[in-house]
Amino acid sequence: MTNDPDHLILDKILAGEQPAYAELVNKYKSYACTIALRILQNKADAEEAAQDAFIKAYHHLAGFNRESKFSTWFYRIVFNTAISYKRKNRHQFQSIENTVVEYQQEGEGMLEKTDKRKYLNAAMSRLNEADRTALTLFYLEEFSLEEIAAITGMQANTAKVRIHRARQRLADELTNILNQEALTL
Amino acid sequence: MEKVTQESDDLLLRYIDGTLGLSEKQIIEKDLERNEALRKRLDQLRSTHLLLRANRLYEPSKNFTQQVMSRLSLDPLRGVSFPIRNSILILVGVLMVVIIAAVLVPAGVFDNISTTIDLNQVEISKKYVEKTLPSVSIDGKLLVNIIIIVNLVLGWLVLDRAILKPIFQRRLHTGR
Repeated sequence: MTNDPDHLILDKILAGEQPAYAELVNKYKSYACTIALRILQNKADAEEAAQDAFIKAYHHLAGFNRESKFSTWFYRIVFNTAISYKRKNRHQFQSIENTVVEYQQEGEGMLEKTDKRKYLNAAMSRLNEADRTALTLFYLEEFSLEEIAAITGMQANTAKVRIHRARQRLADELTNILNQEALTL
Repeated sequence: MEKVTQESDDLLLRYIDGTLGLSEKQIIEKDLERNEALRKRLDQLRSTHLLLRANRLYEPSKNFTQQVMSRLSLDPLRGVSFPIRNSILILVGVLMVVIIAAVLVPAGVFDNISTTIDLNQVEISKKYVEKTLPSVSIDGKLLVNIIIIVNLVLGWLVLDRAILKPIFQRRLHTGR
């Protein structure tokens, strides 16, 4: 059993204090949406999947054995929910072009930042889901390799190698995209 | 220009993360000085690293928490674990059945309750089965004994899963 401060909130919820769950939602919503977004590559779907994950987690709180951190257990639910969404909504997968339109609405002052984000998202979309999730979790700087492995259902060593290779592949993809952009100018 | 190998890629990533030992760091820095391809690759990997660090968190819409909580309020019953008070009531009910049955069995209340079912009298068997079927006798005392055992197992499960486990989990966590 871990000494996780979230367990106190869980006790309140399990004692019937449903509003206490809002504390957990507030604490983890950004991380949940970020993980879902990396898998689904679409903001609306990501938020919906993250909401579903929160609902599922709530319904299974009594079964959470507290041997791991709540966050690790919860992100595993987010990961699985987003993967199921991806399988169900494969035909609705949003293209990179749509993402670009969305970012252009943010204004000219954000151009450089949104351009970088656009290229990063485009490069990310060329990786597979497991690579994207492993990279996202690694860069959230919140998790150990063991926790990343637990969330994504891999061995710790496999997660380490996957993150390493994904970083290399992402650098390659980013270089390719930027080279293509340079050629079209 | 020298080629960048998988090994040097690995070293460059560890160099960026700052996880190289001193001697490895000195070696890679010397290599970087004389190898342009390696410098270029370091730039690519570092740019990617910085981009990923800068784009870490996505902020969901402002009413995200409210939406989750409204969805929960529509379906609150499945949400929390079975309350301990209800579990205790179930356990008391189960134990009452066991106690009543355990008192009535030795008193011989169920001794005379026995019946025999003749399967040949059942309409379906006449229609579909040509052979003669055996009669099945039901002993009331045996039936009540089985009910007592099933209730004892059920009572034990309720006590363990719905009462003791949540209590000990909370005590272990809060240190009370």
